[in-house]
Amino acid sequence: MSVPRTILHVDMDAFYASVEQRDRPELRGKPVIVGGSGGRGVVASASYEARAKGVSSAMPTVMALRRCPDATQIKPRMQRYQECSREILAILEEFSPLVEPVSIDEAFLDVTGCERLLGDGPTIARAIRRKVKDALDLPCSVGVGPNKFCAKLASEMAKPDGLAVLNANGLAETLAEFPIERMWGVGPAGALKFRAAGYRTFADLQRADERDLAKRFGEGSVRLKALAAGLDERVVTADREAKSVGQERTFASDLEDPELQQAELRRYAEQIGERLRRHGRMAWEISVKIRTPEYRTFSRSRRLDEGADTTGAIGDVACGLLEEFLRGFSRGRPQPLRLLGVTASALTPKEGPGAQRPLFEDPARERDRRIDRAADSVRNRFGKGAVRRGGPGPSRGG
Amino acid sequence: MKIVCDRSALVDCLALARGVVASRSPTPVLTCLRLHAGDAGLSIAATDGEAGLEIGVGSVEVKEPGECLVPADKLEQVIRSLDGDDTVSLETERTMLHVRGADSHFKIFGYEVRDFPGVRAYPTDLPGFSIEAGSLRKMISRTLFATAVENSRYAISGVLIERTGKKLRMVATDGRRLAMARGECRGDESDFNAIVPGKTLTVLSRLLADPEAEVKVVRQGSLIWFRVGEGSDLACLSSSLVEGVFPPFEDVIPKDHDKRVTFDIGELSSAVRKAALLTNEESRGVRMAFSTSKLTLSSRAPEMGEAEIHVELEKYEGEPLEIGFNPAQLTDALKVIDGTEVIMELKSPNKPGVIRSGNEFTYVVMPMTLG
Repeated sequence: MSVPRTILHVDMDAFYASVEQRDRPELRGKPVIVGGSGGRGVVASASYEARAKGVSSAMPTVMALRRCPDATQIKPRMQRYQECSREILAILEEFSPLVEPVSIDEAFLDVTGCERLLGDGPTIARAIRRKVKDALDLPCSVGVGPNKFCAKLASEMAKPDGLAVLNANGLAETLAEFPIERMWGVGPAGALKFRAAGYRTFADLQRADERDLAKRFGEGSVRLKALAAGLDERVVTADREAKSVGQERTFASDLEDPELQQAELRRYAEQIGERLRRHGRMAWEISVKIRTPEYRTFSRSRRLDEGADTTGAIGDVACGLLEEFLRGFSRGRPQPLRLLGVTASALTPKEGPGAQRPLFEDPARERDRRIDRAADSVRNRFGKGAVRRGGPGPSRGG
Repeated sequence: MKIVCDRSALVDCLALARGVVASRSPTPVLTCLRLHAGDAGLSIAATDGEAGLEIGVGSVEVKEPGECLVPADKLEQVIRSLDGDDTVSLETERTMLHVRGADSHFKIFGYEVRDFPGVRAYPTDLPGFSIEAGSLRKMISRTLFATAVENSRYAISGVLIERTGKKLRMVATDGRRLAMARGECRGDESDFNAIVPGKTLTVLSRLLADPEAEVKVVRQGSLIWFRVGEGSDLACLSSSLVEGVFPPFEDVIPKDHDKRVTFDIGELSSAVRKAALLTNEESRGVRMAFSTSKLTLSSRAPEMGEAEIHVELEKYEGEPLEIGFNPAQLTDALKVIDGTEVIMELKSPNKPGVIRSGNEFTYVVMPMTLG
């Protein structure tokens, strides 16, 4: 048996919407929907006032506004949320060096061994909630458990703006009554399958035959038996870095002009490149995601011989992949597309551990780098939209 | 065309030719093979537009001369499937090819032979050089693996072949490591440099099964030809060259090392392989700590574990040093060296390391920054 651990899961409540309500006090207590507008925009975050009217995230904005016509709709301000997210992480790091951000609005903390200094898990959780409230005026929910899985279950129980604890003692019995929908990785569709196979609660999973699970739901589901009993060995790793950086967009109307498609990819490359450079990462694999009007989705990727963090290099590869795809898919003829996306993955540090310098200096990439540096510094001073590269695009005059 | 062939000889040639054709192409004839039966026997031609191969098939009885153009993969699958037959008969009917075994009859729909772009004939009147197949094959295996998947600003998707008098050098790099093989050749005075695409060399390497066969190499403009063997087994491979500039590779081969160590290849390979087990995508580096009598390799993969491997050193010259390498890049080189000893030359943790095997193989690899 390993040493008993104390893990916290901190989850911001309706994060984007809460940030907006904080920044614009006139919205407090009112329904707020943060999400894309236009025909295909979806809800990224909804305040609890909007949720009460049946709005949920990922719902098309159009539908959300039908359900909650008096909601204020706000376009996402990602940069603002990123800033807040960084401030929250800074607060969490005061409590433990082992903070693992999971996404922009949630993180795990391992506070094992902090009892003497800071108190037990629930005490630390209360302190975190108070500090986040005082410093940032944002609500969050905190779950305390003996491992990541339980901490996350607890934070879900705590929502909104609360605190919940799952104790290691009698854990399996406590979890037994949980419905299958609460299981990690089981979505609504998965839940139907599990229910059809007779797995309705965690208790059913606790009793499950691993071979039966593997046969019905794949090898990956075997671990669900242990999770259902509240057993989870995954560690909280502070130095976990983003595995990929991506950007995608569904177009308000299908995009057919090849030049505009490429311009769109280069725009994502700009944003991805900027993020990679800010975090000192190089990407060794670039993929593009392509969705046709018939909702067929394709993905094409390429391993790079040389790590890329320049807008130019990422854009070149992404455009090349799209071109290659279209050559095969539509014989190179213009093809309307519903969605385009770019992802940079297989990230390694540019400097520091794991970095490998090139044998040869590269004059062209050196020029790309200079352009990127200039663009990044303008962006830092004047904001995100301040600079965009030339090239075909709707914004360019004739 | 009507011929009877030895099935296994035909399968071998089809497999070679299949290496050239385009796997998918909007131009269907580029996925096809042209079979030509005449006085000289049967020859198979294939091209993807860049490279072209014409190869003679031994043990063929030509009953009626003629030609056909049929999809490469289907023809190969069909001939391969007739594994109970020693011989197969091929007969054309307009663009269709009948393939008959003892108990089987296939009709494969083909194309008009005149639509085939053809392969460039070997220019017998041009100067060139010759080399033994075994020696060329070794040089290819020692360089091809280090090519880049695609071009960056330098033309590195192929292998540089550099001929100076009797000396032949082949060099490949992907921008992080560089492999150089040396060999000897014969022939008239016609020094040249050419960057040959990786795919062409992959096909060529397969044509070099007989180590004693003679290979003739001719270059003209942006094209290169390799002619292997003679008589009915003659194979001729032509290819466009990679256009562009090969990086200034001599500048990056370090000459100022002050640490040098001799390894038993098996021992070093095994140690690197072991250390590589506990690396992953994010922490690919293996730490190599050299001291006078010992090398310690260590690796660490977050959420997976750690490894530490010790190797006794008999001959280490220089100050102790700690340097990180990508184990896959070391293994790639160690795999292609024959003999029992390998020399490693080092300078400092941020300077490239060199692996040498005699005068014939030099490998330069950039270190990784250690955590």
